[in-house]
Amino acid sequence: MSEADKASYLTEEYVQRLNELGEALKQGDDDEANRLIGELTTLRESALFLELGKLTREIHDSINSFTDDERVVELAQEEIPDAKERLNFIITKTEEAAHKTMTAAERAMDVVDSFVLQANDIQQRWTRFRNRELSKQDFLALSEDLDRFFGSINEESNKVKSEMTDIMMAQDYQDLTGQMIKQVITMVQEVEEKLVRLVAISGANLANRVKPKEDGSTAHGPQLPTADKAEVATSQDDVDDLLASLGF
Amino acid sequence: MNKDMKILIVDDFSTMRRIIKNLLRDLGFNNTTEADDGQTALPLLKNGNFDFLVTDWNMPGMDGLTLLKTVRADENLKDMPVLMVTAEAKREQIITAAQAGVNGYIVKPFTAATLKEKIEKIFERIEG
Repeated sequence: MSEADKASYLTEEYVQRLNELGEALKQGDDDEANRLIGELTTLRESALFLELGKLTREIHDSINSFTDDERVVELAQEEIPDAKERLNFIITKTEEAAHKTMTAAERAMDVVDSFVLQANDIQQRWTRFRNRELSKQDFLALSEDLDRFFGSINEESNKVKSEMTDIMMAQDYQDLTGQMIKQVITMVQEVEEKLVRLVAISGANLANRVKPKEDGSTAHGPQLPTADKAEVATSQDDVDDLLASLGF
Repeated sequence: MNKDMKILIVDDFSTMRRIIKNLLRDLGFNNTTEADDGQTALPLLKNGNFDFLVTDWNMPGMDGLTLLKTVRADENLKDMPVLMVTAEAKREQIITAAQAGVNGYIVKPFTAATLKEKIEKIFERIEG
């Protein structure tokens, strides 16, 4: 029986009894009138109980469907701990890559620094030679150093190249961590959907929730590029302007 | 500006400490020490005759703002120049740091040029 049918059926029942009640009152039949009023009350109550029952069943079903949902169990017991592990793995991988890159860059810089030192030294002595200021003995030393320097260029340049290759190879974390981050995002989306359903069931009035106010001493970590521009300094220039306005 | 001055670098990420240390070395500052949060930094500061403090804000244990406030409240450390290098970029936070007595504020990610400029500015003010 549809809702509309049920309603018209109820109305029919009411109308019929109300007519009979009118007739009974006209006739002065108190017993019959009382009986009809009793029946009307029962009818009214049963309609209420029907509604209440329906509501209870809906709530019950919603909660059951939520707790019986195997995905929720899986999410809580497996995927969230899994995601934590993935994120920790990402921290480790990116940290390793950063250190590998810096080590290689530092080594390459050392080679370049030593090149510059040697080249400067040789250049100064060469200038003195061109000005005829160098003794024969000093010139012999210079040509020996030049030989050594030219000889080392190949080997040292290969060292720099190999460090550069290491820096490139250290970026291989991006592929791995990128895939892992995608998996975590998918999981977070699913949890979000489940949470939205839970909020709908509990009927929490989100609009009335007051966010606790915070002061400037709380650390938030990096801001998203989409952060509110009025609240967040988006560049070093913004920071400098703000500090300048404070008399810095 | 004394290039031999003793500098303490405080950041919970070893990579960031290493980057700052390398940049400082490129600027000619070789006398650097590292700490991973305010709690480990404080005893170093109290006993180490440091000339300059470079600190992150968001760290476990003691954060950079608390470290800054503690330094400013300490009779022996209160005049130490402090540069904050942090990802915290809310206007409210920058104002809070300024009020707590920070000498310079750099938001991450930053460049070598910015670090150089801020350090020079801090010591120009102090020495000038």
